[in-house]
Parts: sequence; structure tokens; C-alpha cells
Amino acid sequence: MRLINTLLVCVSTSLPVLAAASPQPQPTPLVVASWGGAYQAVLEEVLFEPFTAATGIQVETVPYSGGLEILEATPPDLIDMTKNAAMAACEQGQLIPLTFDDLPDGADGTPARRDFIDSAFSECALTHLLYATVIAYDTRAFKGFIPSRVHDLFNLQDFPGKRALQDIPDANIEWALRSFDVPRESLYPLLSTPRGMALVFERLDALRPHTLWWQAGSEPVELLESGEVVMASGYNGRFFAAIAKGSPIQIIWDSQIQEHQTWAIPTSATNQVAAQQFIRFATSTQRLAAVAERIAYGPARHSASALLHKHPDGFDIRPHIPTHPYNNRTAITKDVGWYARVRDHLHKRFEQWQAGGSS
Amino acid sequence: MKATLNTLLRTSYVAGLGILIGLSAAVIANLFVAGIVWMNDSLLISPRSRMMASSEWLLLIATVMVPALGGLAVGIIRHFIDGKRFHGPPDIIATVQTRQGVPATQPGLLSGIASLLSLGSGASVGQYGPLVHLGGLLGSLWSRLFRMDISMGNIAIACGVAAAISTIFHAPIAGILFAQEVILRHFSLRALAPIAVASIVGYVAANTILPQPPLLQIESAEILHFWEFGLFLLLGMASALVAVAYMQSILWVGRCASAMPIPAITRPAFAGAALGVVALWFPEILGAGGENLRFALIDEAFSRWELAILLILKILATAWCLGMGFAGGVFSPALLIGSLFGALFGSLVATLSGVNSSAVVVYAVCGMVAVTAPVIGAPMTTVVIVFEMTGHYPLTIAALSSVALASLTTSRLFGRSLFDRQLHQRGIDLSGGRSKALLTAHTLQALINPNCLQLSPRASVKDAMLAMSQAQVAEAYLVDAAGHYLGTVHLHALIGAAPQDEARQYAPPDDLCLYSDTPLWESMQALREFVGERVPVIDRQYRLIGAVVESDVIRAYLDILADMRREEYAPN
Repeated sequence: MRLINTLLVCVSTSLPVLAAASPQPQPTPLVVASWGGAYQAVLEEVLFEPFTAATGIQVETVPYSGGLEILEATPPDLIDMTKNAAMAACEQGQLIPLTFDDLPDGADGTPARRDFIDSAFSECALTHLLYATVIAYDTRAFKGFIPSRVHDLFNLQDFPGKRALQDIPDANIEWALRSFDVPRESLYPLLSTPRGMALVFERLDALRPHTLWWQAGSEPVELLESGEVVMASGYNGRFFAAIAKGSPIQIIWDSQIQEHQTWAIPTSATNQVAAQQFIRFATSTQRLAAVAERIAYGPARHSASALLHKHPDGFDIRPHIPTHPYNNRTAITKDVGWYARVRDHLHKRFEQWQAGGSS
Repeated sequence: MKATLNTLLRTSYVAGLGILIGLSAAVIANLFVAGIVWMNDSLLISPRSRMMASSEWLLLIATVMVPALGGLAVGIIRHFIDGKRFHGPPDIIATVQTRQGVPATQPGLLSGIASLLSLGSGASVGQYGPLVHLGGLLGSLWSRLFRMDISMGNIAIACGVAAAISTIFHAPIAGILFAQEVILRHFSLRALAPIAVASIVGYVAANTILPQPPLLQIESAEILHFWEFGLFLLLGMASALVAVAYMQSILWVGRCASAMPIPAITRPAFAGAALGVVALWFPEILGAGGENLRFALIDEAFSRWELAILLILKILATAWCLGMGFAGGVFSPALLIGSLFGALFGSLVATLSGVNSSAVVVYAVCGMVAVTAPVIGAPMTTVVIVFEMTGHYPLTIAALSSVALASLTTSRLFGRSLFDRQLHQRGIDLSGGRSKALLTAHTLQALINPNCLQLSPRASVKDAMLAMSQAQVAEAYLVDAAGHYLGTVHLHALIGAAPQDEARQYAPPDDLCLYSDTPLWESMQALREFVGERVPVIDRQYRLIGAVVESDVIRAYLDILADMRREEYAPN
């Protein structure tokens, strides 16, 4: 019954798209900048191909690995950007402002405005999924008690062993301050003070002799699998992929740091109409849910979260989704506006500390 | 049937009143706080904006110039306020307690704007006083629009105040308590319903319209030993001394400021510039200091010396800003001062006892409420605020222990609160309770009967008796050509006297007379020993204005008490 309902809604939400597409017999292809790898394979399967089938518009992809360089020369029609980058590009006038009035309602009838998570709508970008930076541990490493809170990352007494942390301030500084019981809402105001940063480095100092620093997203998984470290920070999608193929890794969801992945259209894009059409298509309840079920990221719509059930391989996907209510209770939303402004200062400070000078 | 319908209508009216005032006060409160946050971010006052600042020089200039220019604007606004002083919670309390007049609108609104500018430009003042005042003013404006009587007007004011507190602290029960504990100063069933509705609406609105994060969140605060409750009591007593020092500094700087050779209009600008210069080394003293309040709850955030220095600097900075003419409250600085002191106390306890005592957060929270409660005169409210904000029961009991002795100690050393002290300086004494305050607020003026028998001081006994019998009175007042009162002659004293004698000889030397501005309360005291019909009333130039009949004074007294009782006990 539920399946039939879903199908019906599917058809009805696709109809306007079909109607809009019909007067265009020879549409220009849509050029989408995408991140490649397994993630892009999923988008091909559940977004690009169905979009072409529904509208007749071909989707061509160009590789993208973050940053704003892609906006120079001949930019694509649509970019799958982090919100952080989209905000910076928007401020420089390199993205077109978006209107969100024509987004379809949620599958459960919730108006789009309320169906999307908070702050999904920014001036030039629409959030479609959330990914998380999390702490994970090697399930073979601990007997009895297992780590469950962000505090345990810094608790060498109960959970001894090496840690792998990303070689940037991001996430490390939030977690260090959270371990002092600072509530999520106060993190960034406190991180803005010298006193807050002093506390952060006090925590990191204690951890330093036990820390390996990683750069590529694949490293923390490898370090955990090889047993070189007992705890590591990393992207939830990477850990999920490892867990799905049987690695002895468990994610600590406490204080996961969520970031938005958005769709944005460059100002000089040539096929803006198709790009907007694609955004409407790709952010419907069913499409968002289909993407999330395959790569364990959080869909940007509440109604899509409600539909999540099984990975195509048959196991329950819900415990792996960062925005699942059970995982989401203590999530930190990364303040990308703050990072955009203090990045240089922060990195300099962090590198100084890494070079040996404590706080 | 009709009676039931009437009751329902009346109840809906009361609920509607609560909703209306609660909603508007909540919106104003949230706008006010959002305005402060926005100004702090734009003017490089908030740590967040300071960290984002593009250059060091810009930051240095802003640190000194923003409070100075803010002070200049505040000084100019003050110049245009009737009475040249900012209004605040004491004005609301005075209106309600004396049942006279309404909170002044023009000074009220201008004070609100001045507070916003003070807080926005980083002055070390509180935001909750202005919000309480604005909430009360708003309630009063609504009551005037609906032409309510004084009692309902007072309840409307209390509704506005309750909604403001409830909105800001996300603490509806504390809002109700504050309105009853500080503003109305009695607990009545009649007032409870609309105040509770307003408070709840404030709470709902706080989470839906322009929501602001709550002041303080505490995730864990475990009390390890029961004997520590003894320390919390001790902390309460010690905090009382801090509270008294804080309040005395505010009053003292206020007194000194008027003696300074700086024109009143530029005084806040000067104060702001000086504050900014100190803030170059201690940026913690700028603004309400929410971040430092949070840090004070963390064990390792401050060294003991830093706690002590910051504690003293914050007391001085707040006294300096308020005394020199910035507009704002005393509540949020008190929270910070108290938590710094509590943290200092907690860390000393840990060192001296050598035992593993509870985390510093517990002591910081106890110190926070123990300093704040006596300053605003609201012990129960502050304890309930802790409970509603943290949902932590043992912590609330710890806070209660500290507040209990803090309030008692402070009331002995200083008085019920800074508000009451400020009102006392304006001649309104609330220390004797509500009835005394009311009776003190009303004077004899309205009771004076100008028709009384006046005689020349040279009138003979015969003339005097004749005049009295014609006027059918038993007393006459001797008045000279300039109208000055010289004495009273009583008919019974003249009977049997030689007719040609001057009547003046028979006037008793120590007869009672009252000034026309004598409060009812003192008149009643004076009349205790009085035997007679009427008491002569004079002005401050000793000219006779008329006389009051003793029974009129008693009637006025009873009427006032009856009004008060009606406000407290009458059904709606």
C-alpha cells in the first residue's frame, strides 16, 4: 500500500515536468559539475538518467573537486557545491539568486518551505543533502565500555590508543570545546575568543602525542581497518561504505558536524532554465530519498527522511543516516559563514600549534 | 444561565488580555535582543565579529570609538527625556505599588532606545532591566487603550513584565513569579490567570517568532557530596557581600558623576571612551558578556587570578557605565559577576579542602543566583529561572541554598533590592510593605476642607465664642494678616474665661497641625494621640490652607486598604 502511494505521488510530481518539457523537441544538454566516484555513480543512476528520461534533456558531467575555480572560463550550468563555497561565490555575484516558490510539496503534502530543513534555502543555493564529519572507532580495540560521546575522543585513560584526526582545524576545534560541555549553540561565539581557543589547544595538546594527521578522506578508514589507530575522524559516507562491506568500524554520532551540499547555478551558465528544472526534479521527496538510501547522506527534506528504509542491498539504511532523529540529537551544524571569514587566521593558528608552539 | 455566560465572557476577556499583552511583549523583547545582537555584530563588539574583523587597526579603533559614540548618542537622548533620567524597573514598581499615575510613555520609550544603543555599543550594562520596563510599559499602554481601572491596569503591567521575562529566559514560571514577587508584590488569584496566559504566550512566541537562544544551557552538573550544601549556604552569605559591593558601587559612581566637571550630555561618551581603552586589554568587560558567563562554568577556562581580576573589573565597569549615564539594567552584569565569584569560591574550596568536590559549574551557578537575587529582589524567581533553564533539580536546590542566605544577609546590610533603594532615594519607601507604600503615596491634599473658622490673633474670648457659635464649630484657627497659622482655640477652653482676654492665651502650646503634603501614613501616626474634630493643615510657608476631619482621614485609609484588597482578592 505504501509503495503504491509512493508511486502515485511520484507520477503526479513528475507530470508538470513532462508538460513543461514537451514544447522543446531538441533541448540543449545540461552540464553538471559533480564530484565523481561512487557518489557520482549514484547521481547518474537516480537523478541524471531519470531526468533525461522525463525531459529529454541530456546530462553531461564535468569533474569538480570543490573550490571556486570552476566558475572561471566556461562554467557549467549547475554545480553540486558545499554551502560554504556557494555562499562565497554568491557574495562575489558568480551565482544567480534562486527562487524557491515553485519547488514541489513534500510527498506527505507538507509545503516545500516547511519540508526542507532549516537554512536549506540560501540566496543562491538550495541544500539537497547533508554529510557529516564524525568520529569512528575500531570495534576490536575496546573491551567492556565502548566510546559513545565526543568526550571519549579526548579520554585517553578509558580509551587508550592512537587517534587519526584531519589535518585542519575544522571539526577538531568544535569537538575539543564540546568536550568541556559547551552547548552546541555557544560553540562558535566561544571559539571566537582567545580564551575559547586556549581551551581547545589545551585539549589537543593532551592528545598530540597520540595523534596521526590525515589529509585524504580515504585515510581514516584505512588507518582504522589496519589497526594503526583506535579512533578516527572522517566523513560518514566513507565510514558507511567500509561498514557496508564488513569493516570493524562503528560511528560515534555524538557531536557529528553536518555540512550542507547544495545545487547552485553560475551567473554565466548558458542553460539556466534546464538547470532550474533539474533542481526541482532532483529535490523532490522521492529523488532525495533515493540518493540517501544509496550513499547514507541526510536528505534535505523531512518527508524524504520519513521514506528512508533499505539500501538496495537489502539492509536497513536508517542507522547510517546522519540526519536520522536517533543520530541527529547532538549534531553540530557547521557555521560556514564563520569559517568563510576566519579561515586564514584559524589555519595560521592551527599550523603554529602543530609546529610545536602550544596555544 | 446569564451568570454563567457572563463568567465565560469575563474569563475570555482576561485570557484575551493575557494573549494580547504576552504576544506584543514577546515580539518587542525578541526584537530588542535581536537588535542588540545585530548591533554587536555590526559594530565589532561581539567576539564573533571581532574574530572576523579584517584588520587589527580597525578593531582597536572600534573598541574605543564604538562605546564612545554610543555614549554620545545616549547622552543626547537623555537630554531630551523629561526629568533627564532614564526610566527602568523602579518606575514600573513605583506605579504599581503606589497605585498612582501610569508609567511615563515618552521617557519610557526613549529609555528603551537608549538602552538598545548602550547595549549595542558595548556598554557594560544589563539587557533585562530595560526589557522588564518595556514589557510593563507595553502592558500599561494596552490598559490605557482599553480604559481599564487602576487594578486591572496594574495587572496588565504585570502581564507585560511576565511575558518579557518568560520570552528572554524561556522560563514562563519564572516570568509569573517575577511579576508577582517584584512588581505586584502579592499573590492573587485574580492576577494569576492573565499573567500566566501572558507568560505562556511569551514562552511560545520566544520559540517561534525571531527565536533567540536561551541565556544559559547546562548539560551536566553533578553534586558529589551532601556536605557541599553547607558550602552553598556559605557561598550565599559571601555572595551577599559581593552583591552589596556591586550595588554600592553603582550608587557611589552615580553620586560622584554629578560632581564631575563634565557636562551631563557628554558624560556617557567620556565613560564609553574610557571603557573602550580598558577593553583594549580586557575585552571581556564589553557588553553583557554572555561568552564569559559560559566560560565561568568551565573549570579550566580562567585561572584564579583571572577570575578575581575580571570580577572586580566587571563590577567597576558596570558601576562606571550606569553611574556615568549609560542606560541599561543591573541584572545581566550581576549574573556574570556572581558566576565569576562562584567559580572563584569553588576553585578555592577544591584547593583548600583537598577533596574532590563538585565541578565548578555548580558553584558558579550558585554564585550567579546568589548575587543576582538580592540585586533585583527576587529570590524565588532566580531559583526558578535556574530550574527552567537547566531542568536540573539538584542544581536548583543548591541554588536555593545559596539564595536563601544571600537574600537575608543583603536585606540586613543594604535593603530588599537596588530597585527599592533607588525608589527610597526618590522618596518612595517600600520597606514597610505594600499598604505602607500606598498610604505613603497618598497625601492629605485631597481631604482638606478649606472652609474653617479663622480668627485674628488679637480676637477676644467673647468674639471668638460668638464666631464659633455662629459657625457651629468648636474650634477656630488663629491666623495673622499674612495668613500664617498661629494656633488653635477650642471652645471648651474658652468657657469660663474672661470675655475681654485675648483668645490666643487659651490656645494650647503644642497643638497638632499637619502639612498639606503629609502622607496619609504619617497623618495616621500623628492622629494616634489627637483628640478633637479637625486638624489644621498648613503649607510649607506655614500658611493655613484648611483643616481635615479625622474621620475623613480614617475613611481615606480604609478606602485605600479596600482598593488594595480588591486588587488582591476580588474575583474578575
